[in-house]
Amino acid sequence: MFIDVANLKKSYTTGVIKTDVLRGIEMNLGKGEIGVILGPSGSGKSTLMNIIGGIDRGDSGKVTVDGTEISKLSDDDLTEYRREEVGFVFQFYNLVPNLTVGENIEVVSNISKSPLNVDEVLTAVEMLDKKHRFPRELSGGEQQRVSIARAIVKNPKLLLCDEPTGALDYQTSRSILKLLQVVNKKFGTTILMITHNAAIADMANKVFRLRSGEIVEASVNQTTVAAERIEW
Amino acid sequence: MALEKRVFRFLKENKLRYLSILALIILGSYTFVVAAGLSQNLSALVTTFTEGHMQEDLSFRADVAVPDPDLAELQKSADAIIEEYMSFDVALSDTLTLRLLSQTEKVNIPAVTEGQALSGPGEILLDPAFAEANGYPVGSQIEAAGKTFTVAGFVSLPHYIYPLKNVNDIVYSPNDFGVAVISREEFSDIDNAVSTYSVRFNDRTPSLKEQAVQLRESLQAEGITVSDWTDIMDNKRARMVWASITGMKTMSVPLPAAMFLLSCLIIGIMFWRMIRQESVIIGTLYAQGYRRRELMCHYMSIPLLLALAGGVMGTVLALPSIGPMVMAMVTYYNVPVPGIQLSFINALAAILTPVLFLGLSSYLVICSELKRAPAELMKGDRQKTRVNALERAFKLERFKFNTKFKLREQFRSISRLVFLFLGVTSASVLMLFGFTLMNSMNHVFNTSDVYQFEYEYAFRDLQFGEAPEGAEAFNAGKFYPENNEQIEFYITGIEPDSTIVTLKDRKGNPIPNDQTNITKSLADRLGIEAGDTVTFISKEDGKPYTFHIDAVADSYVEQFIYVPITEFNEQMGLPGNSYRGLFSMIKLDIPDEKLSGMKSMSELPNAMDEFMGQMNSMVALMTIVSSIVALIILYLVTSLIIEENRNTISLFKIFGYRRREIRSLILDSSTFVIVAGFILGIPAAAASMGALYGYLGNMINLVLPAIVSPLYVAISFAAIMLTYQLSKLLCARSVEAVSMSESLKSGTE
Repeated sequence: MFIDVANLKKSYTTGVIKTDVLRGIEMNLGKGEIGVILGPSGSGKSTLMNIIGGIDRGDSGKVTVDGTEISKLSDDDLTEYRREEVGFVFQFYNLVPNLTVGENIEVVSNISKSPLNVDEVLTAVEMLDKKHRFPRELSGGEQQRVSIARAIVKNPKLLLCDEPTGALDYQTSRSILKLLQVVNKKFGTTILMITHNAAIADMANKVFRLRSGEIVEASVNQTTVAAERIEW
Repeated sequence: MALEKRVFRFLKENKLRYLSILALIILGSYTFVVAAGLSQNLSALVTTFTEGHMQEDLSFRADVAVPDPDLAELQKSADAIIEEYMSFDVALSDTLTLRLLSQTEKVNIPAVTEGQALSGPGEILLDPAFAEANGYPVGSQIEAAGKTFTVAGFVSLPHYIYPLKNVNDIVYSPNDFGVAVISREEFSDIDNAVSTYSVRFNDRTPSLKEQAVQLRESLQAEGITVSDWTDIMDNKRARMVWASITGMKTMSVPLPAAMFLLSCLIIGIMFWRMIRQESVIIGTLYAQGYRRRELMCHYMSIPLLLALAGGVMGTVLALPSIGPMVMAMVTYYNVPVPGIQLSFINALAAILTPVLFLGLSSYLVICSELKRAPAELMKGDRQKTRVNALERAFKLERFKFNTKFKLREQFRSISRLVFLFLGVTSASVLMLFGFTLMNSMNHVFNTSDVYQFEYEYAFRDLQFGEAPEGAEAFNAGKFYPENNEQIEFYITGIEPDSTIVTLKDRKGNPIPNDQTNITKSLADRLGIEAGDTVTFISKEDGKPYTFHIDAVADSYVEQFIYVPITEFNEQMGLPGNSYRGLFSMIKLDIPDEKLSGMKSMSELPNAMDEFMGQMNSMVALMTIVSSIVALIILYLVTSLIIEENRNTISLFKIFGYRRREIRSLILDSSTFVIVAGFILGIPAAAASMGALYGYLGNMINLVLPAIVSPLYVAISFAAIMLTYQLSKLLCARSVEAVSMSESLKSGTE
């Protein structure tokens, strides 16, 4: 498996109160697949994704990505892992406001060993004509396209998307989901996506439902639905 | 009001940043109170002393003693007090000279600053700096002119405030020279004492210069030939102190103003940011019924508190340091100090000016935000993503990403850029100012290139014939340009094959002495170039004389025009083989009564060492102060950049940027602004030095070259860059402290 999570536990202590965020997560996702994590607020979705992305660490358990047990990596090795292997797409895009579209993508291509061509990536997300615009001159959907372009320019093995359509309207959301599917097919990128929107689960190969830090249901879609056909 | 509690929390949250601003305000108020207090006290002390003790307006020597009836007549016709005093230079050792002056009663009245006034024969009053340097306390005894004197006390003299041995000297050392006052009767058995007449005009309203011209004409009409005519305005012994006073007065405005302006800029930037971040809270408070005035009071209390605290602390620190500083100045300038005046107005100005500066800038910033509607404010930050004109104007495609990012980081906030640029330029100017001053002084006093003699003898009367072996004859006269009597200088006739005066051009090539040469300092002051034909008026006879300038010598030592002595004598109508002075390599045996003055070059190094020692301390102090200012500015800007980029830093961490890569992108982004600010500081320092030197030229007849030495530029640059590194080091931990979760939680672009 490309992603293999075994008995992952994580808790936070605030004062005297201990909160178990992840309680022995077991999950896996194959290479080139799209996985969707569904769950209500506070179920541990983001924490799980952060640990898989090398931003956070679990208390115990094992997280393996593409054969590397990332739970054993040092801070510096985790930096290298994020640098070369993982791309991030955020709900609120997190573009650097005083950099142009092209420069925002360069933020990542600048440090990547073998990045894709910036213009090619912008063409792929249909944003080449807006390369010299600043983020505030773009709509929310356009900003998310730039965010995706930024994430894929390093040609990552794994793309982690945290509510990528959470701040977008219906039509724009569908175009973004379609774009993610295109990226998945074109570049063979494994995608793990967090969402509240259960309808999005139809486009995934695997769906994980989280509740109170536990996976209550893991299902496999034998046939995935094209993003443009998803409705909610 | 509950909101008031937030004020101290704001201050506590950004302790170091607000402390830095407080330090700038303290520095501004401190400098103002000290510089203004020093100049006012010194000015008052000098004015009170010179007026109360009847400082002379001019002095001269006469070829014959002026009989009392003639003197009375002269006083009446010139409406002046004229008093004769005697002087005699006593060599206490090979290097130590004491000038004995007779006690006067009407002009240049001595002021006893310690001990008792002269009460009988065998008593002497000493210049306190000389007494201290050479170990003569009150009550001790001193051997001079074959007599034993008891030191009755210490004295200040209005015409020897800065006790230079020769009127054209620049530096003095109490280890080499001092003045003393003895009763006139003591001179009766001192041979070869020199008689000088001091003049003070009774009517102070008309031009003293015009009255002096009339007196001179009266003297000529009486058939009295005068020499060593010295106007008080040309007398460095009296004028040097005014250069310091005016320097302090000048310093008391721009330096504090720069500090206050920088504080305004940074507080403006910080408040702009703070208010923008607070917009939702402000909107909410508006919605809850708060009035604009109440919110204005709330936010204004921070800058006002800082300004008030800084102003008060700066003033409180400055007031007690005025006294010791005035006393320190008085060790160079010998004036009595009856008391130190602390100005209430200055203290009030030092407190209220920063309040006004910071209050106004903060008011404008806060006002611009508070006028927005509550609903608009509650929507949150409207400024954060705005792209300014500067960001838009620059096309940066051709640069590498790192360069682009750093440039964009600086262009992002024009006010922050201006603050950084002005701050670095100000600190660089201050630093270079000190170094350039030191360099100029070094250059000026390095006389070995021009003069090869050891002794200079000036005769009372014209001499004839050949110069003694080892010596060269010279003749000299004082001149001034047509229409500008304020600038006085010597035209000196020297031997055409002189090996003692060795002038060089800018490239270091020797200039022959068989032509008319002008020193660079005088050429600059008069605006003369090689090839010009110029006419000057002789101070002796008031007649015009024309000279063709052949070359400009690269010398700042003194303001001279050198012509061949034969040409000088011919022009001035003097016998061809006559001379008035000798430059000599060896000590000559010339009777004292024939001499009006003797200068030994060996005295200069001691005075120079002492002077340069003080100068080095001053430059070191200026370097430290400017480095502290630079550190504060750089720290404030760097911490602001980090604050504004928390989300970006967090993103960089998520994307896998390494620590040093993030530090380089964020902390090094100011490098090119600092370099540009420093480069601008070089011509700015040179220009301000030029202005100061021009002023000094008029005030004390001293012309200095504004030479910006590459070595000192390199040292200043190293100091600024070192400060920059230190500020980065201070801020590096803040970059480390930004967590990856910050951008994950952020709900904006």
